[in-house]
Amino acid sequence: MGGKMYKMAIVPGEVCGGCDMSIIDLHEKLLDVLGSIEIVYWPIATDFKEEDIEKLESIDIAIFQGSIRTEKQRDIIEKIARKSKIKIAFGACACFGGIPDLADLYRVDELFKIAYFESPSTINKEGTIPGRGKSDDGVSAPKLLDENLKVDDLIEVDIYIPGCPPPTESIVEAIGLLLGHFEHGKPIQKGTVVASLKTLCDECEREKPEKIEISSFRRIHEVKDIDPNKCFLAQGIICLGPITRGGCGLKCIKANMPCRGCMGPAPEIIDPGAKMVSSLAALIEIANEPKLSDEELVERVEKISDPVGLFYRFTLGLSRLHRIARRRLK
Amino acid sequence: MKENHIRNWEPKIFAFLCQYCASAGADLAGVSRMKYPPNIISITVPCSGFVDMQYVVKAFESGADGVLIGGCHTPSDCHFLRGNFKALKRVALMKKLLAQMGIEPERLRLEWISATEAKKFVEVVKDFVKKLKELGPIVRE
Repeated sequence: MGGKMYKMAIVPGEVCGGCDMSIIDLHEKLLDVLGSIEIVYWPIATDFKEEDIEKLESIDIAIFQGSIRTEKQRDIIEKIARKSKIKIAFGACACFGGIPDLADLYRVDELFKIAYFESPSTINKEGTIPGRGKSDDGVSAPKLLDENLKVDDLIEVDIYIPGCPPPTESIVEAIGLLLGHFEHGKPIQKGTVVASLKTLCDECEREKPEKIEISSFRRIHEVKDIDPNKCFLAQGIICLGPITRGGCGLKCIKANMPCRGCMGPAPEIIDPGAKMVSSLAALIEIANEPKLSDEELVERVEKISDPVGLFYRFTLGLSRLHRIARRRLK
Repeated sequence: MKENHIRNWEPKIFAFLCQYCASAGADLAGVSRMKYPPNIISITVPCSGFVDMQYVVKAFESGADGVLIGGCHTPSDCHFLRGNFKALKRVALMKKLLAQMGIEPERLRLEWISATEAKKFVEVVKDFVKKLKELGPIVRE
């Protein structure tokens, strides 16, 4: 990237560390970039503290990882975003809320009740709950927000890099975009998504029958004989390929695991779960439809367990239906 | 005042009615001068199998308290042969999804109404309005 050094901050929210790993996974490609980047904030790898953010005048690239659950995370992210030129939502949690967002099906007090009192592994005689009370040296855990937020609930995002974690190819593509922007003045359209415009099914190399029909559902832990060359849906295993963006390099599919939707919904999809309901339900028991009564058919469909966890595993934060349900929870 | 507001509240129903059966049934109810509650906004669609569950989400989002999907009787009335089965299976799964989300699944209703069943259409609308009044508005604010 020439002689200039660009300031970069990598800001974690509710993270597992996978996103950082995927940055390190760039291997030698990382060396090409490191020469022109000055890391100003990256708690997992460097020893910068919150006070150091205050001292910074401006940041060129801010990478936000993970969703936002505590007041502390929110404050740090807002503080950094104000000083940043290009803001990137990195990973499924930052882009769509991710797995932590599934906790939004419950109220905070319900979550606390399970996590701090009712779970079998918990002993909490004093009834301690984070965010209330202080330790002997005056430190208290940050307070939980009412709901889990994705990054664009708080700030305007320039580039989305979805995936859990984002594939190396996407990161390389994003670096290309940033290079073009900073070195050659090419504008970056707000809300650019670094992923394919097509669905995963479109890129999948597995053999698909002309008509897919499901007569019995099988869950992944129940089957040992998954055909590695045949479409998962045709084998009765739920795969989110029809509604999910491609561009992930088919890692799960090649490892003989069905898609769970970490790249987020394909463009034009309004509500990923509702779309998956429409496309999946239509495939069930096609040949036996006229022979079965309405009740029997409904019974077969209802065998799908945990539809929210299946269809919105990474994308509950995008669900419009969930937004309505949240307003009812309060 | 709030209580008053709830007392005067009327549920809104968005209905997707298939062109060949349910919509024709609604038309017959109209030309036969049958009376039914004015809470329903009907949208004629080519087939009940055309109704993507995203439309249901959009309907709830735009203020519907209940969504009615009307199609032809199973197994053999559908003009497109299999459309009503598609609707049946989608609605069954969608209801399960709604329940898990915390929205009463009764707010989504699927009925088979043929072109001659004007009376059934009227009964369904009356009953749905009554049930929704018991459930109350989808978002209480």
